[in-house]
Amino acid sequence: MSEKIYALLLRLYPSHFRQAYGDSAMQLFRDRARDEKGFFPKLRLWLDMLADLVISLPREYGNAHSALIAAPVSQRLEGAPSFFVLESEAPRPGALLLGGVLSLTALAAFPVLLSELHPRTQNGSSASGQQLGRSQSSPQQAHQPKSQDPGKPADRAAAGNANLDDAERQRVVDAAVADLKQYYVDREEAQKMADALLAHRKRGEDDAAANGQALAGLLTKQMREVSHDMHLELAYIPDAMLASRYDALGRPLEPTPDDREHFRSAMEQNNCTFEKIEMLPHDIGYLKLNSFPDLSICRPKAEATMASLNHVNAILFDLRDNRGGQPEMVSFVAGYLFDHPEYWYNPRENTTQKSWTQSPVKGSKLADKPVYVLTSARTASGAEQFCYNLKMLKRATLVGETTSGSAHSGVWHRIDEHFGMGIPEVKPVNPYAKSDWEGTGVEPDVKVKAEDALKTAEDLALRKLQKK
Amino acid sequence: MPKRKLDPLPSAAFQILLALAGEDLHGYAIMRQVAQQTDGRMRLGPGTLYSSIQSLLEEKFIEELDARVDTKASPDRRRYYRLTSAGRKIARSEAERLADLLRVARTRKILRGDYV
Repeated sequence: MSEKIYALLLRLYPSHFRQAYGDSAMQLFRDRARDEKGFFPKLRLWLDMLADLVISLPREYGNAHSALIAAPVSQRLEGAPSFFVLESEAPRPGALLLGGVLSLTALAAFPVLLSELHPRTQNGSSASGQQLGRSQSSPQQAHQPKSQDPGKPADRAAAGNANLDDAERQRVVDAAVADLKQYYVDREEAQKMADALLAHRKRGEDDAAANGQALAGLLTKQMREVSHDMHLELAYIPDAMLASRYDALGRPLEPTPDDREHFRSAMEQNNCTFEKIEMLPHDIGYLKLNSFPDLSICRPKAEATMASLNHVNAILFDLRDNRGGQPEMVSFVAGYLFDHPEYWYNPRENTTQKSWTQSPVKGSKLADKPVYVLTSARTASGAEQFCYNLKMLKRATLVGETTSGSAHSGVWHRIDEHFGMGIPEVKPVNPYAKSDWEGTGVEPDVKVKAEDALKTAEDLALRKLQKK
Repeated sequence: MPKRKLDPLPSAAFQILLALAGEDLHGYAIMRQVAQQTDGRMRLGPGTLYSSIQSLLEEKFIEELDARVDTKASPDRRRYYRLTSAGRKIARSEAERLADLLRVARTRKILRGDYV
């Protein structure tokens, strides 16, 4: 709580100061708050902080100012040309009036131009002989995309949608059929679905889909009617640029060497998303992990982190801002928490030798230490896998909110720059129940608001340690 | 030439230089060291501390060491600072200035004492 208040107070400082020293200042406050317990020390701490604010704030703003003022002076001294951008005179009334009139004209012209341009593109494409479904009058067509996907940005989506012609529909259906037969986990079902898709196509039912979104929805429905597989889907991504780099679920496609290098350096700068490692009172270890990064890049960091937490009495994993990552890293971190290999359920893979944790990890003393995992509604995907397995194995107490519910078991197959398919290629064995966390999330053992999770977990850990 | 921020040297900056005279320290350790050497009279808050550190870095009186992990207290990455030779020089001249002041105070009988 007090940390949050101080974080708010820190915002009063100018941004250049916050960028350079915000974290350090926060750390110092945390250090003092940790060391100065009790009513009077706390009171003194806050008085210090307020006095500090009063003294240093004007100075910081003064510094920024003096730097601004000093800059042109020093430039002139060095003989370089300088420009005076800060006018001391007020602008003339005539200039203000002219500026106002110009801005208003520009603002007024913008919507007029837009409404002029928009119908023209719609009519233009239909006039060029492309068949847009059955005999509909063109004003209706112009409005159709809008009414079908209201929340979408109208420009790009509409442009992409309006271009959907019969050849395109045929191409998408053919690709879907081929992908299903090649990749779908159950060959027999795949054949049935492919037949159904072709039958619907033959009967002309797909012609009703005038745009990409509608076609994707329709084909998904046709496949699911046969297989009842909710992980199978055909998706349309309006933004072509985005579709070429990411799949429908936001996962990046196979990276290029350049991407990998970029990713590696970003990870190194980011401390591999090991956001915070702290020792709380009573030797309770705290690890805030914001993703499960690529094991091939971040293994040394993960090993060093876990080693630095090896002597704790209890360990808190803060996954409240963790949106997932690589299953290999999930199982790697979990390996430290067991003294023998445990089956580690992964909804995206067949059961193999890799499905067991690599426990015991040599030298790890964490196998018998209490584990708490902090969750929030943002905790997703790989982070949920961590939560789900530890909960099912009764190895951790989950504290916080129900997680987001994304298991994503389909593998993405790109059809073109807009269309793609998520196809389940494997049938994982879930030893616990039929359903995992897809769509429902992982329920915490102790349900509290995400912002209270740390405090609650720390209390729980302390109580447990005191009982020993 | 614009006026230098640390001329005259503010007392917070002077105390930080003194704290770093012994060993390289991180922010919180500097704060504790300053509190110790002033018998608890000066407890630098984060704002004062880091704005002073910023000015000292700009004047090259101290330098920042590569971040390192302090495994003893907590495994966080902290920024450590070290006194430069210019910093040592300015701290010495400030101390001499104070010593002169002290001598004057003694001759005017404001302060008692045998030596500086």
